[in-house]
Amino acid sequence: VKGAAIPFDLTVTDEAVQRIGSAPEAVLPILQALQDHYGYLPEDALKRVCEKTQITPASIAGVASFYDMFRHKPAGKHLVRVCRGTACHVNGAERVEDALRRELNLEEGEDTDHAGRFTVEQVACLGCCTLAPVVRIGHSTFGHSTAEKVPGILREFSRKASALGATHVDDEHSPGGGRAQITIGLGSCCMAKGSDDLFRALRDSVSKSGVNVSVKGVGCVGMCHRTPLIEITVPGKAPTIYSSLQLTQARPLVNRHFRSRGLVQRAAGLWTRVVDTLLDNQDQVASCELSPREPEVGAFLGKQVHIATEHFGELAPLDLDEYVAHDGFQALARCLGIPAPQLTQSGQPAANPSLSPEQVIEMISTSGLRGRGGAGFATGDKWRMARKQPGPDKYVICNGDEGDPGAFMDRMLLESFPFRIIEGLAIAAVSIGAHEGIFYIRHEYPLAVKRINAALKICQQRGWLGESLLGSGYALRLTIQQGAGAFVCGEETALLASLEGGRGMPRLRPPYPIEQGLWGKPTVINNVETLAVVPWIIRNGVKAFAAYGTATSKGTKVFALAGNVVRGGLIEIPMGMSLREIVEDIGGGVRPGRKFKAVQIGGPSGGCVPARLADTPVDFESLREVGAIMGSGGLVVLDDSACMVDIARYFLDFTQKQSCGKCTFCRIGTRRMLEILERLCAGKGQPRDLADLEGLANQVGAGSLCGLGKTAPNPVLTTLRYFRDEYEAHLQGRCPAGKCPALIKYRVLENCTGCTLCAQRCPVDAIPMTPYARHVIDTEKCTRCDSCRQVCPYNAIEVK
Amino acid sequence: MKGQVTTQSADKVGSFTVTIDGVPIKVTAGQTVLSAARALGIDIPTLCYLEKCGPLNTCLVCLVKINGKLVPSCGTKAKPGMTVESETEEVHEARRTALELLFSDHVGDCLAPCQRLCPLGLNIPSMLRQIRGGQSEEALQHVRSTLPLAGVLGRLCHHPCEQGCRRGTWDDPAAIRDLELSMTDLEMQAGGQFTPPSKPASGKSVAIIGAGPCGLAAAYYLARHGHAVTVVDRHPSAGGSLRNVAEADLPKNILDAEISRVARLGVEFKLGVQLGGDVRLDGLARGFDAILLTTGEETGSQANKLGLTTAGSNLKADPNTCLTSVRKVFAAGSAAKPVKQLVRAMAEGRAAAECVHLFLNGEAPRRPEKRFSSIMGRLERGELKELLRSANMSGSVTPCDRCAGFTRQEAALEASRCLHCDCRSSGDCLLQHYAQVYGVDASRFRAERKSFSQVRQPGGVIFEPGKCILCGICVKLSELAREPLGLTFIGRGFEARVAAPFGRTIEEGLKKTARECVEHCPTGALAFEEEVSADVNRVNS
Repeated sequence: VKGAAIPFDLTVTDEAVQRIGSAPEAVLPILQALQDHYGYLPEDALKRVCEKTQITPASIAGVASFYDMFRHKPAGKHLVRVCRGTACHVNGAERVEDALRRELNLEEGEDTDHAGRFTVEQVACLGCCTLAPVVRIGHSTFGHSTAEKVPGILREFSRKASALGATHVDDEHSPGGGRAQITIGLGSCCMAKGSDDLFRALRDSVSKSGVNVSVKGVGCVGMCHRTPLIEITVPGKAPTIYSSLQLTQARPLVNRHFRSRGLVQRAAGLWTRVVDTLLDNQDQVASCELSPREPEVGAFLGKQVHIATEHFGELAPLDLDEYVAHDGFQALARCLGIPAPQLTQSGQPAANPSLSPEQVIEMISTSGLRGRGGAGFATGDKWRMARKQPGPDKYVICNGDEGDPGAFMDRMLLESFPFRIIEGLAIAAVSIGAHEGIFYIRHEYPLAVKRINAALKICQQRGWLGESLLGSGYALRLTIQQGAGAFVCGEETALLASLEGGRGMPRLRPPYPIEQGLWGKPTVINNVETLAVVPWIIRNGVKAFAAYGTATSKGTKVFALAGNVVRGGLIEIPMGMSLREIVEDIGGGVRPGRKFKAVQIGGPSGGCVPARLADTPVDFESLREVGAIMGSGGLVVLDDSACMVDIARYFLDFTQKQSCGKCTFCRIGTRRMLEILERLCAGKGQPRDLADLEGLANQVGAGSLCGLGKTAPNPVLTTLRYFRDEYEAHLQGRCPAGKCPALIKYRVLENCTGCTLCAQRCPVDAIPMTPYARHVIDTEKCTRCDSCRQVCPYNAIEVK
Repeated sequence: MKGQVTTQSADKVGSFTVTIDGVPIKVTAGQTVLSAARALGIDIPTLCYLEKCGPLNTCLVCLVKINGKLVPSCGTKAKPGMTVESETEEVHEARRTALELLFSDHVGDCLAPCQRLCPLGLNIPSMLRQIRGGQSEEALQHVRSTLPLAGVLGRLCHHPCEQGCRRGTWDDPAAIRDLELSMTDLEMQAGGQFTPPSKPASGKSVAIIGAGPCGLAAAYYLARHGHAVTVVDRHPSAGGSLRNVAEADLPKNILDAEISRVARLGVEFKLGVQLGGDVRLDGLARGFDAILLTTGEETGSQANKLGLTTAGSNLKADPNTCLTSVRKVFAAGSAAKPVKQLVRAMAEGRAAAECVHLFLNGEAPRRPEKRFSSIMGRLERGELKELLRSANMSGSVTPCDRCAGFTRQEAALEASRCLHCDCRSSGDCLLQHYAQVYGVDASRFRAERKSFSQVRQPGGVIFEPGKCILCGICVKLSELAREPLGLTFIGRGFEARVAAPFGRTIEEGLKKTARECVEHCPTGALAFEEEVSADVNRVNS
């Protein structure tokens, strides 16, 4: 009707359909576009999509309600996402969320403040585990957040948001011309600790002082606990490394190493140096210097072997020439039977003996490479079976839906080495005879999506992708599909359902994807890390790879080392290294005064290995023997402050929420298990609960349809196996680790001096202010937020 | 298309043998383990399987064990040489667990509390629907086909049904006993003589000693099973303790009329005959295929004389089979164990009749199993309102002339106060059926009950989300039929539910496929309002 009121503008919806397509499988990208634009999914827009496309109302309603990223009512101006990953959980994410909700005056059931500025959401894992607990507001990530820091975080964000200037590093690939170089890690977690701001500040300082130095952003530097990490290389000199630098130290740093060229600049430089000296800035910079010979650095890096992360901290993620200069695409060229790509300045093309697809598969097979996504299936076998499948249409898929809370290996690899993953996927495609490949990357990893996207564009612009792979004439089209917040989509059949525009519901295997995958065609689905090591194996040979590892688990494994550990970070170790070496030598052990208790390995599908079994070597079989699994590489260290019943509850809560709901065992079984664990943590357990829990766990593991349900009981079963005494303590109403709020009380001890700090910090006024007298906590009011204990300078708060 | 593909591959691979529970069976390529097992006569339970939909693999009650792993048999193709375990304790335990998990999330009663509490299992909600609908004849037949001496029960029953009636938690329970009575009274006024159908003569004979309520009830059931029944009693008239009831409570003419109805089923009465005197047990044993002692409380003193073992003052009879120490001699009612209430004595008679019937059929006698029923327990007032929407909201109806009982109109009005909290699919529900078969403990996994809700449109589909097991059959059927709106799963995991898109009703979602979806719903989540419960169909057939 002419003149009728239109609730809102639907042109965006129409444009999205126009741009993305109208086939049934376009549903997920269209919904993502709508969510990005409107901040939620307005029903009118969904109905419009149904009118304009082949997408049915049933399909759009089912898909829209399946994935976590979609909202169904408008959100506040800024989305505050509290990470509930494992590392964040054990470092107090719950308290941070409580503090956020208090600060924003959110009532129970509300998620948006009254001014409509902030909407608080939980997110399964942001993959910044070494910075735990993590909060992301808009595009800004805040690491090491605590309940006390929350007001500051919101202020800081508001300041940033109102200040002009993007928070993104859009032109990170600008190496400049200088031979001297400042490199800075620009992974997501580096940036969360201010690396992007520091990167810009360094570039400004360099350009202002006019020195001939290039400032280069590189991928993940691994040492997340020391970021922002900067390396300065001057030809003919040993490199200097600085860690944990502040923004204000950019200029003094540049001045410390480089002399300005112009007269005016030199005068200015002299002046700033004088000022810096007066302000002690130079001394502070010097104190950040980290010698590579320092035992800490040696311990962290010394035992690592870099295959998937080869050249870590050196390569600018999106510098294709640099990648090629480091032998990039040489392996793919061999597989295509063409000479290795050459840089213009290079000399003669090196001999690059060609390999037939069968030879490539044979190499991967004999190298012993097993899938790094968790199950450890032999990659060569998978490729061989897929190659044997008849028909011209086949697909390769890079599974970057890394959903394990406490894991960020795939994110880091995609962010830091996009060309390497592209090369790995292309080799897989050529080997099985596929001409189409898809990167399925979870949407929680915007930087990974952005870098893969950019890397694909760069390859296409050079004519290396599309009609003719590396100019060989082999057609390969690579695209990206983003996940939408569903852990289960990491399961390969659920991933396929998601790609086909459905709810991410797994199906029964067989048939396996290699027989009937995407659109019923043979499909190879490989994990990011698996693909990352493929080029290395081709270039360095089978023997070099198999030299690392154990009899059945060859090569290396990348782990995200996080939790209650001194040196968290991204590490790559040869298989067979013991958990103890990882935790104590690389990770530096637990924090002083704490006791190493267990390692949670394999995320929600894995298990807790107790400290007494820490000599267990990291290989597929040994880990399975102790009840855990290799998993995708999350390795969360737990000290004696971790409650194992709480850990089991945490993981069950996760898998229960992430269950697709298809099969009875997982949908209802995990829920019933969670209810028992919640009862235990609340001190309401009954004697038969432990037997019931164990029995049900075994049934859910045996009966569930897909891997998610089959492995969901593992954290419960391993904690029951190794920490049964803690379960029994909970039955008696005690939480030995002092973690479960319902079972603990806070009390002020006699050595309280009456400094009032705790009373000032208590968010719920449970501590009356009594200066110079011992304080008292009102247990009824107390929410166990732990603020008082953290703030007390005299350790006068007891938790029991 | 799909069929063609299967045939092609079958031509290629042909047929081969798999072994299920040690029994080899020839299967064609493409055939599932489920269909192979069913061909062998193994009743693998399925809830979500419908051939038209293909394997949905959601319920997982069809698990079998292959290569040490539990897999759903409906989605697993048979492979040459495959060895399948189906009827083992481990597999059964897994299936039972799946069923029990479904029940832990199941909001609904299979049987309404009134029916569940009725010792004789009268389908009361169904009777009330018939009375409400003015189908007094059908209601009467229903009553007469379930209850022996219905006119007596209508006067004397202690009506546990009314104690359980959900309407009673809102205001007053439905006047179930009076409504039942009004049906038999109306019949009598009209001179009706409805005799429930019996099975063809079995050629077997039973002597029942004792013509009290228990014996008469046993006679009623055994006669309807087609057996030749002779009731022996030492008193000159049948009725036992019923003869001692005051005339005001049970007029003699009513009692006589009710007993004569039992006789009309073909039951022969031999009255004034003393067991042990005129008739001896061994003599009876020669003349009859089975003997049932329903001699009441005074049995004990005589039992020893008859050569029967006693326990205290009662006859010793196996509570599970009603068998005494003597071959083919059964005992029931107060003869074996004191029974207080009339309806319970009759229920004992029925149980004994079933044992005798099995015995006469050459099967092991076994007391009938209690019918499985999921129990949702007490409803909150808000939940009751869901049910009240389709009920008469006014208070109890008082018959204008107290003695004459309800008129037809009054009965219909009172019957319309029923909340119909029974499940329309009881007796036609796969979940209930397999729960019974697998001896499910519906409360094994304790959990907070989800709230009860019922979506209904007059004359249309009734949707009870609490009974939905997310099998996906209706979602698939609506998709296959290209419903304009259709149904879908909304949400994920434990919170997932079946609904029409955009908050529309199930009715709107199922424009073309409502009947098909109701028919194939494995539980009572989808039902038709007007559909007469399958129980009634079974009873009346």
